[in-house]
Amino acid sequence: MVYKSEKSLIRENLSGFKKFTLGALVTLSAAIIGLSPAVLTAGDNGPCIECHTKPDKLKTAEKAKINPITGEIKVVSMVIDEVTFKASAHGGEDFFCIDCHQDLDGADLTDGHKPNLKPVDCITFCHDDPADEYLQSSHVKLMKEKNKDVPTCKDCHAGVTYHYTSLGEKSPRDVPRGTDPLHRKLTIDSCGECHQEYLDSYRNNAHGQVTALGHTDTDVPVCFDCHGKHKILNSADPESKVGKERILETCGSCHANANASFVKHVEHPQIKNLNYYRKLLTAVKNARSNPEDLKTLLKNPQTILCVVFVMYIGILAFTFSAFGLHSLLSWFAVARDELKRKGHADEEQH
Amino acid sequence: MSLKERGMQMKSSINYVRFSLFHRFCHFLIIISFFGLVLTGMPLAFRSYGWARWLYELFGGYPTAGFIHRICALITFFAAFIHFLFLFICVSVQKRKGFFWGPGSLLIQPRDIFDIVGDIKWFLGIGKRPDFDQWIYWEKFEYLSLMWGTLVMAVTGLILWFPVQFTKIIPVSVASIVDLPSIALIIHRYEAILAAGFIFTIHFFHTHLLPEKMPVDEAIFTGKITEAEFRHERLSQFKRLESQRQLENYKVAPPSLFVSFLTRLFAVPILITGLLMVGFMFSALLVWAI
Repeated sequence: MVYKSEKSLIRENLSGFKKFTLGALVTLSAAIIGLSPAVLTAGDNGPCIECHTKPDKLKTAEKAKINPITGEIKVVSMVIDEVTFKASAHGGEDFFCIDCHQDLDGADLTDGHKPNLKPVDCITFCHDDPADEYLQSSHVKLMKEKNKDVPTCKDCHAGVTYHYTSLGEKSPRDVPRGTDPLHRKLTIDSCGECHQEYLDSYRNNAHGQVTALGHTDTDVPVCFDCHGKHKILNSADPESKVGKERILETCGSCHANANASFVKHVEHPQIKNLNYYRKLLTAVKNARSNPEDLKTLLKNPQTILCVVFVMYIGILAFTFSAFGLHSLLSWFAVARDELKRKGHADEEQH
Repeated sequence: MSLKERGMQMKSSINYVRFSLFHRFCHFLIIISFFGLVLTGMPLAFRSYGWARWLYELFGGYPTAGFIHRICALITFFAAFIHFLFLFICVSVQKRKGFFWGPGSLLIQPRDIFDIVGDIKWFLGIGKRPDFDQWIYWEKFEYLSLMWGTLVMAVTGLILWFPVQFTKIIPVSVASIVDLPSIALIIHRYEAILAAGFIFTIHFFHTHLLPEKMPVDEAIFTGKITEAEFRHERLSQFKRLESQRQLENYKVAPPSLFVSFLTRLFAVPILITGLLMVGFMFSALLVWAI
């Protein structure tokens, strides 16, 4: 539940600054006075690593973490994988645990530090550039206007954590990069956690079927290639990457010479979405009282796709039942004649 | 039938030509290209199953499997091209008759309707197997659906290969209602399932895996059939050729045992692959239904 308060951090991202100044002062004074090593200071990961690599030295080796959006509970280990950490973007020589876990700055470690740390604030001092874009996105707009739970940094950049999960499996990737196939693959699932319907329809498309087979390199688009990474806007917004003004550029980044007809492509076909068929049927039923509904649906490119799909299901069902029956019958008729022929041959021999 | 029995049977009988070298070569080309297309394309249609991923990786994954798919498509185009060139030469240059009408035509004829009724009677055990001519009605159906299917797959496949170029020729107002590449993808996917399912079950069980042919009907590979087979399968054609005194022209020496062996060596793994594929596809249907 600690996780959830991240939202408030983004809203009041300035308040962190005060704490930082305070923390810096404490650190500074600690450095000057030269307190006992039981007090955590900047410039040294030693005290952290000493306990956090050995489960028996920790008071709590595992903690439950609840995903605020899906409600999924994950048991996360407090044990750090030093190798993964060192190899990561945050694992350089001049980077320390308390740079992110700032509320531990100057903490007294004689009896262990306080159990629940504040969620890490990625934005205020370091990643303000992507955050600025993120704050303009439709996700944040929803959060501000309707107070909805929306994905924040770590929902997508889950790999930033260096903790093991309870199953002993390492966190998937330490540095999320748009070019990394594993990270690209994981983002499809992350988006799909909320946008299940869109994930399903994406899988029916030419792009989605290739990524479903495990190929997620940059030559096949995943969600964020078309919808954007931090500044994700609703597709109805003309400024969105898939909006009217930018769609040509977005498709054109892979399909050279993409034209105005080409970009009308339906990337999320509804052919297997029962709700679309229900909508179609209702519109046909109410064709007299409300012809506008049907007209709009008939102008929707999805309708033709659905009709073609249903037609093919019919052709498949008819062909395989009719000709399947025919082959079976002919196979058994041949077998019957063969047996008869053999029977006659045997009689003649005797 | 064991290879030895088959060899004995062919040696002790008069043999006739059933398929010319050209037709056997075309069938061979179609086997190679069809299997290449199915094995590299079907994983995309059944993308959520483990076997599909395995098969896709086996053929090099993306984009290699796609390249193999396109090369096989070009082989199919070539086979279709030489087929129609052959037809053109036969009809226009050599002025040969009987391609479009008559007992030797692959197009549907009035007698096929009687054959269908006779065949159904035979299935139900209330009649004798009908006497067929050169092409049995279901063989005609297979041929015509191959022609139609190739056309559909070629057109939709080319749209998917060159989506930008194909959409360029339709105006924006039409494109916003008719999404050509998406329609092409749906047709290409389900026509492929139709074609693969049809060949691997109906064609296989009608032709190669019949109790009297098991494991393979060698005629399309060696080109030859025995007199007993000719009389049993196409008595009408046999009698017709006999009465026209043309039967002599069809007589050939029996194929060697080695050729029969090669046929089986090639055909049996291919048949097994096809049956495995259709098994995988059918299991997916069961998973979906359950």
